[in-house]
Amino acid sequence: MADDRGQYSPGLIRMWRVFRTTREMMKDRGYALLDEDTQITLAEFADKYARDDGEADRSRLHFSCMPTEDMARKYTPLPTAKDPDPQPEIGKIWIEFNADENVGLKQLRDYMAHLVNGEYYSGIMVCIKPMTGMALRLLRGASGIAEGPKGGVEVFVEQDLLVNITKHELVPKHVLLSREEKDQLLKRYRLKETQLPRIQVTDPVAKYYGLRRGQVVKIIRRSETAGRYASYRWAI
Amino acid sequence: MPPKSILKKTAVAANAPPAAKPVNQRHLDVALHHANIIEQRKSVERLVLDTIMDLMDFPVSPDADPKRPSAADARRFREAVVPFQPADYDSLIEERNIADKCGYALCPRPKRKAPSSARKHFIDSSRGVQIVDKKVLEVWCSDDCARRALYVKVQLNEEPAWLRQGEHGDKIEIMVENAEEHHKALPLRLKKETAPPPRTNTEEDDVAAAWAARDDALADLAAERGEKPGNLSKANNELIQEEIKERVASAPPMPPSLPEQTSGSHMAIEGHVPKQDKKEHADAEEDDDQDWDKHLPG
Repeated sequence: MADDRGQYSPGLIRMWRVFRTTREMMKDRGYALLDEDTQITLAEFADKYARDDGEADRSRLHFSCMPTEDMARKYTPLPTAKDPDPQPEIGKIWIEFNADENVGLKQLRDYMAHLVNGEYYSGIMVCIKPMTGMALRLLRGASGIAEGPKGGVEVFVEQDLLVNITKHELVPKHVLLSREEKDQLLKRYRLKETQLPRIQVTDPVAKYYGLRRGQVVKIIRRSETAGRYASYRWAI
Repeated sequence: MPPKSILKKTAVAANAPPAAKPVNQRHLDVALHHANIIEQRKSVERLVLDTIMDLMDFPVSPDADPKRPSAADARRFREAVVPFQPADYDSLIEERNIADKCGYALCPRPKRKAPSSARKHFIDSSRGVQIVDKKVLEVWCSDDCARRALYVKVQLNEEPAWLRQGEHGDKIEIMVENAEEHHKALPLRLKKETAPPPRTNTEEDDVAAAWAARDDALADLAAERGEKPGNLSKANNELIQEEIKERVASAPPMPPSLPEQTSGSHMAIEGHVPKQDKKEHADAEEDDDQDWDKHLPG
């Protein structure tokens, strides 16, 4: 393996790791991906996506995926009298690996326009360096603006995706609860949702799972005395 | 007879919501006032963002000249940068550079290219050879544009637009060679000729005139605070108590006098004054070496 890696450029290996983590992230979120999609080897990756100069061709890495039925059910709000047949609040997602050195308002607006044109529900943009401040400001206000896609845009920096943080032994298992499970939990413990412990949506694990405000995650930790121990967090 | 419960009898369920309290009008007003301030701040930030997106594709015509911009472009640019802070202006320059344009918003040319793709460059300047980042070299299309753009930056108000008071500092000048044209193009502001009020002696007219004068004065004050009609007022009339309480002297003022020396307040230990003097006095009186056993029991 070690001499195997010698023949590829560091940039390609880096991109391979980012790509693999992104695929794993989409699978962990519940999108429909096969196991072999997430376990692409370096040789396969180089074969498919390397350019002539040995670097990865970012423009060929883009992919889209659909949510599985399980995931769609999780994201469906409870039926109400007004809306007896609610639609799931999730849909096709487009993941783009931006090749520009600096990403600003221009690229972000182009990307949003592309998402809207392609009728994607949400998007993930992976850039080389952090975005400019104004682009982040647009992103923060974008969920309310009609310009962007319905599900919003998430932005990751390549460096944050080099390693899959959820595979670290100190990171417990996070499970997203559906609307129904959340209601059951609140009823069982006679709580209001504001009485739950909280997790920020900017938390690295919350960003990995793409948590939205108001969702509840179940965190399962190992316990010396009880074997397993579950706690719940409300994303804010 | 069944055993009696020791629990309190509760009529309401344990987790019933608390009864709705009557709304305190003043608290509501204060909350609304602050919410409006935050809302105003958000709208200013959105305005700045929209302006930057607008100015990114500026100027509209590709053959515009930064030295002699058209009057309409210049006016639009000058009005657009008024709510900016210097940091916002830097963001505008950054965004324009990413879009591969000269940082000066009135210049349509692409930014200058550094001589090579090296990250640092040697540059001959007045202070000798300096090592300069490639990014710094590629901000403007020419030194002339740099000077014109920075001339605008130094005029910007450091205070964020939602905190600004008053109208001063909202005139941004730009370096142009056809200055006369711009002054001509400015809309002329005509002073309103106030017609002399007709002389009438009825009391009602006087009262009405007084109210009108008060409204005018309030409007002038608002303009002085930098408010525009239709915007949120910074001085919230409802939150300020109208009643002015005068302090009326009930008794003629008395000059302060020194406290009596004998009070011993300087000796007090947490309010208690030990009676040391008395004891010493008593001890001195019956100074007897026999009295040490007087107090012993038995």
